[in-house]
Amino acid sequence: MKLLKITTAILLSLSLANASLSEDATKLDVKKVCDVKANGLDKVLGVAKKYNPEAIKLGVEFKRLGIKNREYIKAVEEAIKSKSKDTVIKYKKKGKEKTKKFPTDFATWRACTFAVRALQLHEEGKKTWRLAVPGDGFKY
Amino acid sequence: MSKKIITSLLAISVASFVYAGGFNTQADKDRKALQEYMEKKFASVKNASTFFPYSTKEELEKNFKWGLKGADFNLGSYAYNKGGKAQRDDMMEMPPFEDNIDAGKELYEKKFANGKSFKDCFPDPAIRGDYPKFDKEVVTLASDINKCLKDNGEKPWKVTKGKMTDLQAYFANASKEKGKKINIKIDSKEAAEAYERGKKEYYTQRGYLQLSCANCHVQGAGKRVRNEYLSPLFGAVTHFPVYRMKWQGLGTLERRIKGCEKNQGENPHKPGSKWQNEMIYFMSYMSNGLPVDGPDIRK
Repeated sequence: MKLLKITTAILLSLSLANASLSEDATKLDVKKVCDVKANGLDKVLGVAKKYNPEAIKLGVEFKRLGIKNREYIKAVEEAIKSKSKDTVIKYKKKGKEKTKKFPTDFATWRACTFAVRALQLHEEGKKTWRLAVPGDGFKY
Repeated sequence: MSKKIITSLLAISVASFVYAGGFNTQADKDRKALQEYMEKKFASVKNASTFFPYSTKEELEKNFKWGLKGADFNLGSYAYNKGGKAQRDDMMEMPPFEDNIDAGKELYEKKFANGKSFKDCFPDPAIRGDYPKFDKEVVTLASDINKCLKDNGEKPWKVTKGKMTDLQAYFANASKEKGKKINIKIDSKEAAEAYERGKKEYYTQRGYLQLSCANCHVQGAGKRVRNEYLSPLFGAVTHFPVYRMKWQGLGTLERRIKGCEKNQGENPHKPGSKWQNEMIYFMSYMSNGLPVDGPDIRK
């Protein structure tokens, strides 16, 4: 019984923490928190690393031109470590190994905006989806 | 006394009838509202400016067929896109998926290592329109085919293409020949909840392009993207598995949804996942009552 109570408490606190992380993202100004010039690479990457795992968990992670946001983050981390101005992203497209090169500033900004916007969109979607349903919120 | 029993029995049967009918009430409302919207949208070129503000009347008159009703939408965008329909009709003179139907028939009859076959799992192959079903979770045709394989000690197949599409092509063709219709059932609270989750995901904007499926296939149906006219949700599932020119082969609805998610700018959900299956459940219900007419050809 005690074990059940502890497990329930852990699960409840975990779910509350997750909910707040997603809701927390809605309070952010993407332009400000992902501004590399103003905040520096490390801080902006930190924002991406904080929010993207939640986007993955919710099944809303962004992907562009075959590159998942987690791949941007991983590559940016390596570029910052090696103090490289360029970020080289290795990814798979249709089973084939591919690489793409971006300026590190740009890749960091993208990783951050993709992570935050994925969660913001997830929260916005909860309020807006019915507006597109014929017979419900969609009027024509 | 007997009067009381009869009254109680009557009350119970009426209540259970209402209850049983209640699980799909919302889904039926949704389907009717969708059909009404599509029929109104493609009723006449006269009021088309309401729905197609970026197209000229000349373009719409020249390229579109109007006055569409119900099963006309089985053809997807070819219901209204005259040029696309003409190309599709040319290809249908020698359908590129005929070999797939034959291969599917062979797979259906081929014995597993244990001596049984798909015939034992699916005695009637004309079952395409009855899927997805709901049994504690959404059961798609692909998941039931894989369950049959596993139950008989065989390895499951990829749900997007290959043998899966061949067997589904055979099932779809058998269903079409028997005049079967899409016949999805929602007969429990859990099934209704799965339908609602699928609906919510369909209408939710996702990906860096902030697009929902509905942006293209409800509000966007008939609108032009580059040189293509977008297809409608109403009638979207009837022709699967489908031969796509882009794929140069057959693919399942699971494969198509994965492609759509990529186009939205999102890391796609796994084909055959709970998320995808619930989406397919919703999409299939939206075509309830329409004839099964797969396999077919699409761009």
